[in-house]
Amino acid sequence: MSASTTNLSPKNSSAASVITKQLRANLQTYALILALIVIWIIFDITTGGLYLSAQNFSNLFRQMTVTAFLSVGMVLVIVTGGIDLSVGRLAGWVSVWVAYFQANIWNHVLPEQQVLTTILSVLVGLGIGTIYGIVQGYIIAYLNVTAFIVTLGSMWILNGLILIRTGGKTIPANQPLFSKIGQGYLPDWAGWILAGLVVLLLFYMMFSSRRRKVKFGFEVPSFTLDLAKTIFFSLLVVGFVFYVNQYSGVSNPVLILAVFAVIVSYVSNNTRFGRYAYAIGGNREAARLSGININKNIFMIFVLMGFLCGVSGIVMASYLGYGTIAAGTGYELYAIAACILGGTSTLGGVGTISGAMIGALVLASLTNGLQIMNVASSWQYVLNGVVLVVAVLADVYLKKNR
Amino acid sequence: MSDDVILEFKNVTKNFPGVTALKDVSFQIRRGEIHGICGENGAGKSTLVKILSGVYPSGSYEGEVIYNGQELKLESNAIHQATEEGIAIVYQELTLVPSMTVGENIYLGREPVERNVINWDKLYKDTELLLNKYHLDVHPQALVRQLGVGKMQMTEIAKALSEDAKILILDEPTSALAEAEIEQLMEILRGLKELGVTCIYISHRLEEFFHIADTITVLRDGKMIITQPTQNLTLEKLVQNMVGREMKERFPKGNRKPGEVILEVEDLHAINPDNKSIEVLKGVNFNLRKGEILGIAGLMGSGRTELVMTLFGEYGKITQGKVKLEGQELNIHNSRQAVQHGISLVPEDRKRHGLVLMQSILRNISLANLDQFASFFRIDGYHELRESLTYAKSLAIKAPDLNAPADSLSGGNQQKVVISKWLMSKPKVLIMDDPTRGIDVGTKYEIYRIMNDLSENGIAIIMISSDLEEVLGMSDRVMVMHEDQSVCTLDIAEATQERIMALATGLVSN
Repeated sequence: MSASTTNLSPKNSSAASVITKQLRANLQTYALILALIVIWIIFDITTGGLYLSAQNFSNLFRQMTVTAFLSVGMVLVIVTGGIDLSVGRLAGWVSVWVAYFQANIWNHVLPEQQVLTTILSVLVGLGIGTIYGIVQGYIIAYLNVTAFIVTLGSMWILNGLILIRTGGKTIPANQPLFSKIGQGYLPDWAGWILAGLVVLLLFYMMFSSRRRKVKFGFEVPSFTLDLAKTIFFSLLVVGFVFYVNQYSGVSNPVLILAVFAVIVSYVSNNTRFGRYAYAIGGNREAARLSGININKNIFMIFVLMGFLCGVSGIVMASYLGYGTIAAGTGYELYAIAACILGGTSTLGGVGTISGAMIGALVLASLTNGLQIMNVASSWQYVLNGVVLVVAVLADVYLKKNR
Repeated sequence: MSDDVILEFKNVTKNFPGVTALKDVSFQIRRGEIHGICGENGAGKSTLVKILSGVYPSGSYEGEVIYNGQELKLESNAIHQATEEGIAIVYQELTLVPSMTVGENIYLGREPVERNVINWDKLYKDTELLLNKYHLDVHPQALVRQLGVGKMQMTEIAKALSEDAKILILDEPTSALAEAEIEQLMEILRGLKELGVTCIYISHRLEEFFHIADTITVLRDGKMIITQPTQNLTLEKLVQNMVGREMKERFPKGNRKPGEVILEVEDLHAINPDNKSIEVLKGVNFNLRKGEILGIAGLMGSGRTELVMTLFGEYGKITQGKVKLEGQELNIHNSRQAVQHGISLVPEDRKRHGLVLMQSILRNISLANLDQFASFFRIDGYHELRESLTYAKSLAIKAPDLNAPADSLSGGNQQKVVISKWLMSKPKVLIMDDPTRGIDVGTKYEIYRIMNDLSENGIAIIMISSDLEEVLGMSDRVMVMHEDQSVCTLDIAEATQERIMALATGLVSN
């Protein structure tokens, strides 16, 4: 099969037209990135350079992680046409239990066993999140109760359960090794090795993708363009590591988030599970009649969501050093808003994890900036709401005029 | 009933790009009569109705419609105007709000208002008077959702009449009714006649005309064929006039040699999964051979789609009977199992059931077949692309590239995408429900050729179609369904349009 006969295969075109085409297709994402940069610049000016200092830059990324974990799972939930309002409180529930175990159980059963208790804490957290996800997912997917109602009810239930478990008091979770999860940093050299590995991976992916295209007889895009893209992203990664190393290095939560975001993003783009999710969201009936097991897929998505709530709760407990009564309150709204900002449609069928991560970064940037400027949190809420509505309006407007 | 003509069509012609829906149609409707209109799918019946109701305002068609002696000019706000002129329609799909009462539905949008607040007493009083006037036995405060279909229809009729209708058009009124309810409807129509309301009655159930209609008009291919008092007509004459036309070279010649039997359906009964008391299949028997095209003919509502959806595992719950594939009895509960056994279904509604319109052609073609290029960890994108390209090219899908979204394609190309998807699943039995509906002539021919190729390669095809010419042009054998049962399976040599129509309308049973 020669390249010239495949008139339906992806075309080779000039660099300029390829760029414009990609721009138009991802207009919302690029607009969001532009908005992010603008926000950064504005805040840097209004805070006299404090905002983009290495320390704050590093803090900024760490601050976004707890709700970003929730967004990672939320994308697939919304893509399939559902919603999960319980994620904030579930993460809180996990953090409370992790703290409880540390304060009351490991202390007595396994004193001085830092590594073991850290591992057990993590297992407990993940376990609780996942089990809750299983129960909720079963009710939504197999018993056919609307996700909105089930997760709304969950939210209230968890509210009460947290109060019960904590007895109205905060529970400390400050075992030193465990605290490293949320508060620690990669040593500088580790950060560099990581950056190097990522850059190598990017180049490997570029070459292997080109090789496969040739093998299957498809047209290969211009080498210069591919190279430019890969170098650009490599620079971003290296630049990031360099800058945060100026302070304390890559913070652990950011690393963990990156890992999960990449994994879930890969799953949603490259596995059957991911494909089915987008098909279910795009047209549930057609998906059903194409042999897709709707119930099973929706169930799995809520289990994944529960698992990620577990991750979020562990990081939260570790960073705060406490399981608090109010842990996670309102986080679901940030998680959902980040997804929507990042291009996930409430109607289902559309949305990416990378977009949601940028959305989460935008929201965290706003919050961080306003905090530094000592703006009251009431105004922060107002601004977050305004940003969300404006972003969606802009998206609707752009879609109409395309 | 007088000789006074209330409505006359004079040389009415309506064109759409590529198709003429009505051609020089002329006939008269007398005041106070019940006038039946019949014709196959696509004959022009609904176009006529749309002209009368204002959906196609004057100026969008040629010729004249004379109403009460004057030309009917429906222009701005045509639909509203038509209602004000006294032309009312009861559609096949009921347009009631299930969660509201009968009275609320009848006066929806026109509620009697007193000082900015709805006057419920007046509303229900008016409703009661209306229902009594037309002898409609339904309670004004009953919740529509709790009514049976017959009473829902009465509500629709009342709603139409409440605007003081002079002409009441009923489009397929009995397709969803049971025997007893049909009788009730007939009584209501007789009562309306006595009150001087003219009724236009459109139906596929030809026997009904002989119970109720004074005059019958037959349309075919957009032309008025005959219009006669019922007493001058017989069922056979109706059927003859509905179908009689020559077969042109619309169908490519196949070179099929049907082999051994691959699918056997024995005395299949099934019930509605949502409402266990309704039987949706009342006894279906047929078999299918390898390399054969079996056409399934029948009127709308005869159970054809229900049959194939049940075979595909996505509709009826089987209560009796067997389905055997290659001699093995099958127990299929969902589409995934059907596909695994080698049965694939190209559904009737490609937009709602066949495609994820927002996704690309590529993703649509591969959706049912990802197992072919996927391990647990990943989908082999290039393999997927190459396979999908193969099918897209062999079916000649016209698109800039496979990443174009499915909703940017024409109907014919969309249908080809759906067919590609199911071909990729490498079925032994391919069921196609109305595969060329809404598709241009050229693409239809291409699909027929594809079907020939497939059957020549040993795939067994079941083709449901409402187009008798298509059934006769493509099938090796024809199974006719009537009222959720298989009536008879004819060899193509003994199948004629009249015979199929007669079987489909219940006129004969073999």
